Amino acid sequence: MRNYTPLVTLLLIYAVMIAIGQGIQGMWQPIMLVIFYIAVGQALNIFLGMTGYVNFGYVALLGVGAYGMAVALGYYTDLGLIPALTLGFILAILLAFIVSMVVGGIALRLRGAYFAIATIGVNEGIKYLILGGKIWGGSSGIVLSGILRKAYGAETMRFLSTVFADAGLIVVAILSGVITMYILNSRLGYGLIALREDEDAAKVMGINVRRYKQIAFVISCILAGLIGATAWTLKLTYVFPQDVFAINYTVEAIVIVMLGGAGTLLGPVVGGLIYALLKYYLTIAFPGMQLLILAPLLIIVILLFPEGVVGYLAKAARGTRFEKFVR
Amino acid sequence: MLLKLEEVTKRFGGLVAVNSVSLEIDEGEKVGIVGPNGSGKTTLYNVISGVYAPDGGRIFFEGKEITNLPAHERTKLGIARTFQVPRPFGSATVRENVAIGAMFGRANAGVDEALEMADRYLEMVGIYELREKEAKLLTPLEKKLMELARALAMKPKLLLLDELLAGMNPQDINRILDLINKVKEEENIATIAMVEHLMHAITKFAERVVVMHQGSKLIEGPTMEVLNHPKVVEVYLGEKLKIG
Amino acid sequence: MAFVEQLISNLLYGAILGSVYGLATMGLSLIFGVLRIVNVGHGAFIMVGAFIAYWMFILYGIPPLISLFLAIAVGMAIGLAIYMLVVKRLVDAPELASLLAMFAIGIFIEEFAKQIWGADYVGYSWEIGGVSMLFTEVPFTKLLAFASSIVIAAVVYVWFRKTKIGKAVRAVVEDREGATTCGIDVSRIYALSFSLGIGLTVLSGVLVTLFTPVGINVYMGGEYTLKAFVIAVLGGLASPWGAFYAGFIFGLIENGSYTLLGLIPGVEPFGLTRFLSSVVLMLVLLVKPTGLLGGE
Repeated sequence: MRNYTPLVTLLLIYAVMIAIGQGIQGMWQPIMLVIFYIAVGQALNIFLGMTGYVNFGYVALLGVGAYGMAVALGYYTDLGLIPALTLGFILAILLAFIVSMVVGGIALRLRGAYFAIATIGVNEGIKYLILGGKIWGGSSGIVLSGILRKAYGAETMRFLSTVFADAGLIVVAILSGVITMYILNSRLGYGLIALREDEDAAKVMGINVRRYKQIAFVISCILAGLIGATAWTLKLTYVFPQDVFAINYTVEAIVIVMLGGAGTLLGPVVGGLIYALLKYYLTIAFPGMQLLILAPLLIIVILLFPEGVVGYLAKAARGTRFEKFVR
Repeated sequence: MLLKLEEVTKRFGGLVAVNSVSLEIDEGEKVGIVGPNGSGKTTLYNVISGVYAPDGGRIFFEGKEITNLPAHERTKLGIARTFQVPRPFGSATVRENVAIGAMFGRANAGVDEALEMADRYLEMVGIYELREKEAKLLTPLEKKLMELARALAMKPKLLLLDELLAGMNPQDINRILDLINKVKEEENIATIAMVEHLMHAITKFAERVVVMHQGSKLIEGPTMEVLNHPKVVEVYLGEKLKIG
Repeated sequence: MAFVEQLISNLLYGAILGSVYGLATMGLSLIFGVLRIVNVGHGAFIMVGAFIAYWMFILYGIPPLISLFLAIAVGMAIGLAIYMLVVKRLVDAPELASLLAMFAIGIFIEEFAKQIWGADYVGYSWEIGGVSMLFTEVPFTKLLAFASSIVIAAVVYVWFRKTKIGKAVRAVVEDREGATTCGIDVSRIYALSFSLGIGLTVLSGVLVTLFTPVGINVYMGGEYTLKAFVIAVLGGLASPWGAFYAGFIFGLIENGSYTLLGLIPGVEPFGLTRFLSSVVLMLVLLVKPTGLLGGE
């Protein structure tokens, strides 16, 4: 039967995190870092976790989302705050939609490894298009702080880059979870599981695999675009091509999904929590060595725990009264 | 007329796997396709179910041409199949596997309805108690039964069985044949069963038999007549003995 | 006329560089052909080769041509170790697992290299004169790189065609199960091919340094990963020879388009060339996933 109860667990985790962030001095920024990584994992999971396809160009979607918001706020400042912000969200979604339709339209005709290879150049490609074509400021990026302060005042700018940006990211993160839960309970979800396990058999079972992959890809990409718009542009008030297309965000998102459990609702939450905490303490203990430690961790997870923490817990919970809370 | 093949040909490089085969299947009919390994049977199935487009010839389903229709759209019209080597969706449960059939086949069921249908068909094939198990953990026989349940849950008009009975003991064979006959009568499904050996089982099941040989149709007709035809005896020298 | 001269000399340069590109892609294609594993961390191994050339030259004054031997030995050792520790367990696993593992291995090598060599750009210059041809001065070092690439590719070719083990590798590429039934120890072929594939890649890194005077850096590999995939895909992905020829074609396209893009005012041709690489990659995969050159 359809089961939405894992959402209770999900919302509970968010409530606890927000309570800790608000209640304990100095905890808000670490909590927002955790939520950023959870969101990044959730959005990737909708594609990678459910289809088994690897999108190596994932970070490009965060990047174009960030640019969408930056272009609206930086170039259409005169529209006024609310219209410019609205335009920013629309552009972030639109750019992510266009990129995902183009990349997906071409690359999703390809199977497995060939798809992954086709996406290898996506983030570099868009980055170099911006740099080489000197689009949107080229290598100088878009710096918003001065523009926003002048147009809307320092107070409004501070509100935008703190409360509004954080609230926006939390909404996107929770939205990603709710969408994941909906997909898992829908025909779409069953179709995706089937094609992940055996694409040819799925076709013969009546599943339009191209269309299903494309839907998952576009949803995943648009959510990534919204994360870029809130967590990067609004929060940091600048966008540089070198930053927003950096491959390490793709790596981090993959680690989070695999660590937590691909294709599950709570996997990216657990993965994001573990990852963000690990990263936070590793940065203190071994500065500059996070990736050095994370890469072998990913290999170990793949070799020894391919189902991830939540995949493992869900199996352990089967037949107990916790069963319906874990997925 | 449910299914009609008109001089269908499929080549792989220089090899002609199916050579100008014509075939007609009526609603509710029971047909056996017999042929040794490499005679083009599986390719014929793949062409009917839409895994490959044929290189020549035309295919009609209920009078409508489906020669170039993608596999998933053919399924919706009412074609379902099992695989010679079972292909379960490994990490999904048995119940989910069958429900996927109900959702995306001609039945086109919603999620809740599909899960209920899955229970019903699993009960029917006799593996209801395995429904929460991951499909990859089933034995080969259980996987075959699950595939049968999955295909039936799709509510097909044409059911293509690929070596379903191979490797089963006589008891299971009888049980499955009775089951197929029963469902077939209730839902008026035309069934094509494809076998390599097991001529005995085919006599119990099929009203009509098509014998394939090296990609072509060797002969076709009422079951007993065909199996005793000199041409078939010649091709199947060893098999003849098994009938008696 | 200046433009035509520039175009011709750039194309000459493209052909010379293309030979190294081709060699740098053979390992990728070999590993995919035999093990069906996509080495997404490919560029990291090129970086290792580049640093071998750099340190040998800086510390001991050993010219890169001699370092080639060390590079292939080190590369094969690294390749064998990775095969034994990780890849062996992933040959029959879902594609997702091997893709992510190779990705992680590439990152690990880069980060490990950063710890020992730092993140700065370094370089060396090996001056042995040059020769004037086709409107430009071509240094001997680049001609040597060109010649070495061809010789190495030829040696590998002969090894594949003439030796017993080389033939066994080809048998596995063509038909894995068939090879097993013929009594070929497939797991040994896997180990050897993976090791050789990485060995060739590290080796090519040495030659790459002859074209990037100050471009040696632990993160230099990313660029070559992308280029290698474009080339491998052009050459059919599973064919080392297809890859070698495709390297030339890519070198010509890259340097030709660089020259042409330079004519557009207000853009930066280097960046756009790299944008075009990723477009080409996708389009070739779309039009003909088995490679424009066919493949064996």
